[in-house]
This record gives sequence, structure tokens and C-alpha cells, in this order.
Amino acid sequence: MNAPALELDHVTKRYGDFLAVDDVSFSVPAGSIHGFLGPNGAGKTTTLRMILEIIKPTHGSLRVLGHASALEVRDRIGYLPEEKGLYKKMKAWAIIAYFATLKGMSRRDARQRALQLLDRYGLGAFADARTDALSKGMGQKVQMLASIVHEPELVILDEPFSGLDPVNQQVMEEIIRDLAARGHTVLFSTHVMQHAERLCNHILLIARGRKLFDGTLAEARRTLPRRVRIESTDSIDPLRHIDGVLRIAPDISSSDGPDPDNSHWEIHLREDADPQAILQAAFEHHIRLRSFEQADPSLHDIFVHLVGPDAREAGRP
Amino acid sequence: MKYALLVAIREYAENIKTKGFWIGLMLFPLILSGMIFIPAMLQQKATPTRHFTLVDQSAQFEDVILSALERSHQRRVLQALQQYAMTHARQAPGEGAGAPDLEQLPPPDRAAELLDEFAESNPEALEAFAREGGAQQVLERLRPLLRDDTPPFEEPRRRYERVPLPEELNPGADLAVLGQELKPFLRGDRKIRPDGDSVTLYAAVLIPADLTNHIVRPTRGMPELQPDQGVQYWSVNLADLDLRNDVERAINEEIRRREYAGRGLDPDSIREIERTRAPFASLNPRKEEGKEQVSMADYIRQWAPSGFVYLLWVAIFTISQMLLSSTIEEKSNRIIEVLLSSVTPGELMTGKLIGIAGVGLTMIGAWIGALIGLLALAAGPETEFAMRFIEVLKTSNLLPAFAFYFLFGYLMYAALIMALGSLCNTLKEAQNFMGVVTIILIVPLFTMAFIPRDPNGTLATVLSWIPLYTPFVMMNRATASPPLFDLVGTMILMLASTGLSLWLSAKIFRIGILRTGQPPKLLELLRWLRA
Repeated sequence: MNAPALELDHVTKRYGDFLAVDDVSFSVPAGSIHGFLGPNGAGKTTTLRMILEIIKPTHGSLRVLGHASALEVRDRIGYLPEEKGLYKKMKAWAIIAYFATLKGMSRRDARQRALQLLDRYGLGAFADARTDALSKGMGQKVQMLASIVHEPELVILDEPFSGLDPVNQQVMEEIIRDLAARGHTVLFSTHVMQHAERLCNHILLIARGRKLFDGTLAEARRTLPRRVRIESTDSIDPLRHIDGVLRIAPDISSSDGPDPDNSHWEIHLREDADPQAILQAAFEHHIRLRSFEQADPSLHDIFVHLVGPDAREAGRP
Repeated sequence: MKYALLVAIREYAENIKTKGFWIGLMLFPLILSGMIFIPAMLQQKATPTRHFTLVDQSAQFEDVILSALERSHQRRVLQALQQYAMTHARQAPGEGAGAPDLEQLPPPDRAAELLDEFAESNPEALEAFAREGGAQQVLERLRPLLRDDTPPFEEPRRRYERVPLPEELNPGADLAVLGQELKPFLRGDRKIRPDGDSVTLYAAVLIPADLTNHIVRPTRGMPELQPDQGVQYWSVNLADLDLRNDVERAINEEIRRREYAGRGLDPDSIREIERTRAPFASLNPRKEEGKEQVSMADYIRQWAPSGFVYLLWVAIFTISQMLLSSTIEEKSNRIIEVLLSSVTPGELMTGKLIGIAGVGLTMIGAWIGALIGLLALAAGPETEFAMRFIEVLKTSNLLPAFAFYFLFGYLMYAALIMALGSLCNTLKEAQNFMGVVTIILIVPLFTMAFIPRDPNGTLATVLSWIPLYTPFVMMNRATASPPLFDLVGTMILMLASTGLSLWLSAKIFRIGILRTGQPPKLLELLRWLRA
């Protein structure tokens, strides 16, 4: 694997008595799509701002694209902050071009590239519109384009999907995939797990300023027991005694709405257990199954499992 | 620096596009041209000929009044001729090369020189003008000196024209009755028809038959005022007193002439005596030997700085507002974060300062250009002032001083205002703080009028040493040769405080710009400064 695009080494940020980021270390390999997950107030934005050298860490060190400070390589980084905003009186293309020139592009190239990008992602007709005439979603896409117009090697996106409708969320995913396809490194924060699940090679989970998990999606799944979902109106008690079954609970995650006849069940298995044993036992005990589903835990489950206790706590200061 | 320039260019381009900028740009020349042209226009065009009636029951003053009004009219003809000559004169050869000596600025051309003989608004000049054959004759003599495409001379219309008393009124009636009967005409309820046209009677002058019995003499003390014993001037217009003054002066001159004659004095000798005078000159000890005489240019030099102080004030105030709203926009829209991932806070601040300064300079440049252009355009005998003014600008240190004090005054205030803007989240929040800045800024506006009277006095000196006021007050004193100690000392102090305010502001800006929520407490601010 290439040299990491980003490395954090025991980074801590303290505001007065409040510990926003607590001793976080991780590295982002070049060319990967990295999901940065965590509940509200986990310290995601603070971490991203430290990576961009907008604020300085209290302790610890960072290396961005092999340099000690993001300022040295700022032309090679793109950043979309969490709170989106544009100059209200400027035209869409002019804003994109302005940020491009701030990243070192010539004015002519910047303009050309801005118009190209707007065209490609469905905003060609609005290139000359002033941004206060754009909808919120369009404005957000404009800002996204402004942050990647200079083809940055490292793209850092803070909540890129918030406030977008499903169609535009897809456009945003498309932009991110296009970037990765061209070999750029993407680090994006979100608390919408589906996006992370679809896009990421790697996820990084923090809560209350501490790192909870750092690894691939497959590794993340392994943190939860394997599960089997079944549907049956017969008594399922005999299944409880099979070797490897940890617990059986009514399946509340069923997507069919309320479960009037209590027929949906979720069976948690030990890591080494064989789901086929359930099928076999059901057959032996004449339990008629309407459905049998061997499900991997979703990122949603993993998230709730890992940060559940923290996330429920009262709002942080 | 490259990034700062990029920020500056955007800042400039965006602010130039705003409506506020263009309104500000246009407003000043509009007001200025209004001040220059409208009064002249009103005088010449808009004021209609006014009709008055004159009843002289004493039958002694009618002639002197009418001839006085005629003289007054001739004086206006003379002035119009002079303007006409100035506007249309051929450029005399050899002029315009090199800066003319301000103190002995020659009359612009020979045509004006010719008219100078009559220029003084004293009786001799007018008499001479009349002797020479009036406007027609002078025009003949002027003709060869004027350009070929000169349009014919238009004599200004008479301001006052006498009309006879309305037919139904009896000129011999008692004046009290006559006054009552004239009221509806003077109020405009009834019209008079001198030549078939229906016009409003503007004024009525009624002279009682026994006026000479009621002459006021100093020896008798103040008599009781009896309106029906003296001359009555009736008019609804209380603002324009020219007619009243002309009539009053004419009657009094005639009465005095008779008094002289009555006491056996020769009226002509008296008139001659009245015109004798001792030569009198104002001298300025600062000027070179032989050139100490105070000229119009000196008066301009004394007062022109006030104009520049005002310009400085308006400019600093206007662009401070621009800077504030642009800083707040970036902060409240959270654009700042993207910006800061591309430029450092220092570069951002520098860029904004430069960009907005450019906007301010553009505005001021346009204003000064408009000022000079308009004054040059309006050049004529009444605007000789304008030409002198331009000469003063060219030869004095006013413009460089203005540029210097504008630059550093702006930087000092702009730095403070950017720090302020970086601490506030909304324009509304910032306006509260701006109130304080405005109060501080009001002071030089008040003192602006006093300082020229005593430019090196205590008030001026003390204010000069307060850095926030240095640019305004020193600008005010710019042409008064302030002591070198003041000049250099305040300059150093101002440069130091500008540097200090930029430094402080950079520190606050760096932290404040990313901050959300309530503006920080003073203690917290101090902690930032130590950081």
C-alpha cells in the first residue's frame, strides 16, 4: 500500500476544561474512501479542522500528504465544511473559479473547469445564477464542486450529504466515487450509515472525542455476533437449546411494519456457529418457517452497538 | 502575498458591483454640481421677471427709484457680459505654459481684461459702462477677441418690471385704503394685465405725500414707527429683499443728497469724499518677502483642508461599513472555513484590507476628479474661485497629505473594525459596537469647523496627538504649517498605533473568525492576545 495520505498521532484538542478530541490516532491510506463516523458532538468537525490546520491541536502531531502542516500542501487539499455557505451575490461559476484560483489555478483554467463541472453534475443552466437564487441543495453542490475543482489529492468532506434530497445524495455519492476512481483520497464524516456502507473501504468511529473503531467494513461487522432472521407462527422454543445460539429475540427491525402475530425473530449466533444448524433443527422439530434470512449486521447496528450508551447521553456542553 | 492579492481582487470586484458603491460614487458629484449650477440657473432662468407697482404721492422719488433699478439691471448685464467673454474668448497665445504664479494669476485673457475696467460694482464703473454705450458698444469692442463660433449675447432679463396701478384703483387715494385695495392683487387672488398677459403683482411700493416730513434723524432719538407715515413695501415674499433694498437705498440716497444741498454742502463733493479710502492689505508673515499680501488663494488654503477632512471622514466611514459587512458575511455564511483551508487568516485579512482600500480609493478618486472637472467646467467670473482652488490643489501639499492620512487612517480604523467584525455573528450584533466607533468618529466632524480658525491652537494640538484623530486633525492643519515636532511626532505615533492595531486585530481576527456564539468577554479577549 502507498504511503498514507493522512496520519494522526495521539492528537488531543482541549477547549478550556472541555476535551473535544482525546488522544486520537489513525491513518488514511492514499486512494481510499474513508468514512468518519460518530454521533453529534463526537469531535468529528474539530478533528477535521485540525487536519486542515484551521485550528491547532493541543497535543499530538499530524502528517498531511507527507507534510507536517496542511498549509504547506493546501493546494492539494479540498475541504467542504459542515456548515455550508456561499457569497450570496456571486455567480455560481465565479465562486467555484474563485476558490480554484485560491488553490493556485490560473483564472482562465479556473473558469473553464468551473463551467465543466457545473455541466457535468447537472447545474449547467445555473452557472450564471447568483447563489442567493439557488436552492439549498444546489448551493451545496456548488460548494462541493468548489472544494474539488482543483483536483485535490486529499478531499475532506464534513457531512456532505446533510440537507440533500435522495437524488442529490446520489449525485454526491457519484462525485465521491468519481474522485476515488481517479485515485484521490476521500475522508468524509457522516452520521448517515447507508452512505458510509455504500461508499467506504474503511471506517473510523469516534464518540465523545475518543476513537472507538478503526478498520475495514468487514472488520467492523465482526464486532457484532452473526445473526439469522426467521419468520414462523409456530413455537420456536426448541431452537433456544441449539449449540451456538446466544439469544433469540423478537425482530423489531423488520421493515414490514408492526408485527401483530409475533412471528419475526432474530437469532444471535456465536462467531463459530453454523446457521445451517438452525434450519436443520427447525426441520427436526416440525417448525414451519415462512422465511429464513442469514443477515450480516448493518453499519447501523454496529454504530448503535458501539456508541449506543454514549449517544443517548444528554447534549454535550 | 499572491493569495492576499486574489482575496483583494475578489473583494474589490464584488464591492464595485454593489448598488451602494455606485450611489456613493454618484451622490457626491451630483450634490456638488447641484451646489454649483442650480443657484446660478435659478437666478438666471427660473426667477421670472417680477412685476411691482409704484405709487409716489410725493412725486419726488419715482425717477430716482427707477434709475436705481435700471443701474441694478445694467450691473447684471455687465456681469453676464463678463461671463460671456470668459466663456467664448480666444485662447490668448503663449498662455497655459508652465504653472502660473498663483499670487499674480493674470486675468485669463484680454477680453476679461477689457471688461475689468467695468468690473467693480461701483457707480463709476457703471457710469463708465453706460457712457461707453452699454452692452451694445462693449460687445462691438469685444467681438475681435472672441472665437468665431461664439453665439450672440443674450441680455439677462429684468428681474423687476414696473407696472401701472390696476385701473380700478385710484393712485390719489389714502395710502391706508390703497394698501387694503391692493391686498387681493398681492396675494394672487386677482391678476393684473399690464400687456394683456395676466400676471401676479409681486410687490407694491407706496410713498406718502408727506414723506419728507417724517425723516428719521439721529438727534431726535428713535421715533415711534408709524407704518403709514413712511414708505410702505408690500409683498408676500419675505425672503427676496433685493427690490426692497434697492428702493430703500435709492430713496435714502436722494434724501441725503437733499440734506447736503439743504445744509449748503455740494453733493458732488460729498460723493467724491465718500469714495476716498486708505489702501488696506492683509499680510501673511509666513510668505516670502514681497509676496506677503493675502490673496484669495490664501483663504482657499485655509479652508480647503476642511473639505478634505470631510472627504476623509466620509470615505473612512463608508468603507469601514463595507469592510464590516463583508467580514460578517464570510463569518455568518461560514465561508470563512473554506477560505481558511486555502489561505491563512493573515492573508485573508491583508487581502480584505487591500481590496476595500482599493474600493475607497476608487471612490475618492472619482470624487476628486468630479470636483476638479466640475469646477473647471463651471469656470467663469463667478467661479474664479474654482480656478484658484485648482491652482491651490496643484501647488500645495493637500493631495499628498490627503493620500497619506487616508491610507493610514483607513488602516487603523479598518483593523479595529475587522477585529470587531470577526467577533460578531450578525450584522445587527456588530452595529451595536459600531455605535461606539461612530461616536468616536463624530469628534473630528465637530472640530472640523473650529480648527481652521486656529490651526495650531491648543485644541488642534491636543487632538492631533490622539492617534484615532491624528489623520483628521492633521489633515485639517495641513496648509497651516504646523510645527515640525507636531507633524513628525504625530506621524510616528500614528504609524505606531496603526501597526499596533493591525497586530492586535490580526490576533483577534484569527481566533474570532471561527468562533460562534456570544461575543467574548473582555477577559477572554485578553487571553487571546497573549495566545
